[in-house]
Amino acid sequence: MSDPFDTLAGWLSEHLLIPLLWQVGLMRWEDLAYGWALFATYGAVQVALMYAICLPLERFFPIERWPDHRVELTDMFYTVLARVGLLPLVTFVLFFRVQVAFSGWLTDHGYVPPTLERAIPGLLGHPILTFLAYALILDFADYWRHRLSHRFRWWYALHALHHAQRQMTFWSDDRNHLLDDLIAALWFGVIALGVGVPPLQFPLLVLVLRFLESLSHANTRLSFGWLGERLLISPRFHRVHHAARAAGKQSCNYGAVFPYWDMLFGTADFTTQYAPTGDPRAPEALASGGYLAQQWAGLQGFIQALAPPRRHLS
Amino acid sequence: MPRMMLFLTLFLLGAAAARAQGLAFVIDSAGAAVSVVDVGSEREIRRIPVLREPHHMALTPDHRFLLIGDTTGNELLFLDPRSGEILRRLTVSDPYQLQFSPDGKWLVVNGLARNQVDIFDAKDYHLVHRVALKSMPSHLNFSPDSSTVYITLQGTDRLAAIALGSGAVLWDTEVGETPAAVLWHNGQLLVAVMGGNGISVVDPATGLVRARIPTGRGAHNLFLSPDGKVIYVTNRIDGTLAVLDAQSLKVMREIRVSGGPDDLDFGPDGRLWISRRFAHSVAVLDPVSGHYDVIEVGRSPHGIWLNTHDHLPRALAGTAPPHS
Repeated sequence: MSDPFDTLAGWLSEHLLIPLLWQVGLMRWEDLAYGWALFATYGAVQVALMYAICLPLERFFPIERWPDHRVELTDMFYTVLARVGLLPLVTFVLFFRVQVAFSGWLTDHGYVPPTLERAIPGLLGHPILTFLAYALILDFADYWRHRLSHRFRWWYALHALHHAQRQMTFWSDDRNHLLDDLIAALWFGVIALGVGVPPLQFPLLVLVLRFLESLSHANTRLSFGWLGERLLISPRFHRVHHAARAAGKQSCNYGAVFPYWDMLFGTADFTTQYAPTGDPRAPEALASGGYLAQQWAGLQGFIQALAPPRRHLS
Repeated sequence: MPRMMLFLTLFLLGAAAARAQGLAFVIDSAGAAVSVVDVGSEREIRRIPVLREPHHMALTPDHRFLLIGDTTGNELLFLDPRSGEILRRLTVSDPYQLQFSPDGKWLVVNGLARNQVDIFDAKDYHLVHRVALKSMPSHLNFSPDSSTVYITLQGTDRLAAIALGSGAVLWDTEVGETPAAVLWHNGQLLVAVMGGNGISVVDPATGLVRARIPTGRGAHNLFLSPDGKVIYVTNRIDGTLAVLDAQSLKVMREIRVSGGPDDLDFGPDGRLWISRRFAHSVAVLDPVSGHYDVIEVGRSPHGIWLNTHDHLPRALAGTAPPHS
């Protein structure tokens, strides 16, 4: 019995991507085409799964009701771009090559980038166990990336784009400034050199985790109960992080999938309120502008935050 | 009771006969594994997990090890070619294609992502020469006297010749868009031009293209049949296997093999084992009838090698089911 994801990715490669690359004279990249096709296939399924599960939750158990849903269209665009479109392509064509070349260069100079499986050979051949180990490490790294993005003014100027949404839905997970995405990619690139992240080995499990991240942004009254809240991040837990009062430096609940790091480092807030979301100090363009307006406003905020403070002449 | 014993004996003999044919090793590049297929029953019997992204393999000249290159894992794995057991790991940066020279003295490893060709002493695997080449060194082949290795450069549409003894680049010429496989044949080099629609015939002394032979869009790999009579060309875009007369280089026939045909090895019964890159399977093709059986393997089958033609004892790996 063949895997339907593999079959679809293979079909896309054989009938669309590879002939297209051949037609435009880019066959040198054909080795990466399948990887991208697989990533995009799983991304499309993620979007379909989100839609099928989160939409009824938001429809029947909403926290807020809005008369106008137009601002959500931009968030949908972010999602499609991030999960099935351009960003995976950039990841594969650019970062993959850079990572391979750089880790090879390190190997030549006596530093073999370590991997969990080399450190714990028993993990090889146990994909779920291996994946869980990687998921914990990456989630821990992401906790600190996210916490630091609130700490530095220039970084939060970019991250404010994610927080500015007052109509937060399951589509809001991927609304990020491109520079913020780039920093995240570099952050994980460095982590990968330390533990060796296997990008395509566990696509189904990545799909599950990415679904949980989308669900945590859903506009729905959903809690996992006292114990469940302490095992996995729920929409209720993550909404506290997106509350207007938690925007900026004084925030809480930074975790993406597991709440353990918030509990460990004293930033967990398990209050049961469903507060309104958004960042009152963020420019309006970040909240209700279109994709380009949001990116531009984020860039302006970033440059202003980096510029030295003006002196006032008396 | 005697009848039952007879059935049992026949069953065991049958199973032994099927298994006695040997094993096929199929590298699953995107699945970080090597599928082990029982040649007799044409079933995948297990998967050997590797670190990251294996692509190609080569049998050592003494037939003791099957070397597998794990590119992003930065290591060469030494497998027992009879059982698939991993016996040793060697740190090598970005090992993509690899081959031993005909005299068994050299191991050449292409680093596709790193634009380098590593020439190792095959006795102790110490690096003798590292040759930087632009760009994307992909496939390789040797002159019969083992003095020169020829490398296709996928990123710059070129073919390079390197003297194995000195590591000097003898020439580096343009041979066609995105060249893939290269094969020394009858005093000339045949190069599969993947970005084009056939093969280039190249002068091994100068690197100049003497002729171009259309075989199909996306010509990727080249194989001389064991009897030396025909050359098979896998055409990635057209989804065909072109059969060329080895003397005249004329296309005698095209056989449809869908799913992105890539690597090929020869089965003990004359059938061809072809990895289908985009169809997570291997085609076992009868070159006479053109009919093929399909064996499901990992998600991205790439290099393929059968241990049925190397005078190896036919001991077998375990029969545990493959990992999901």
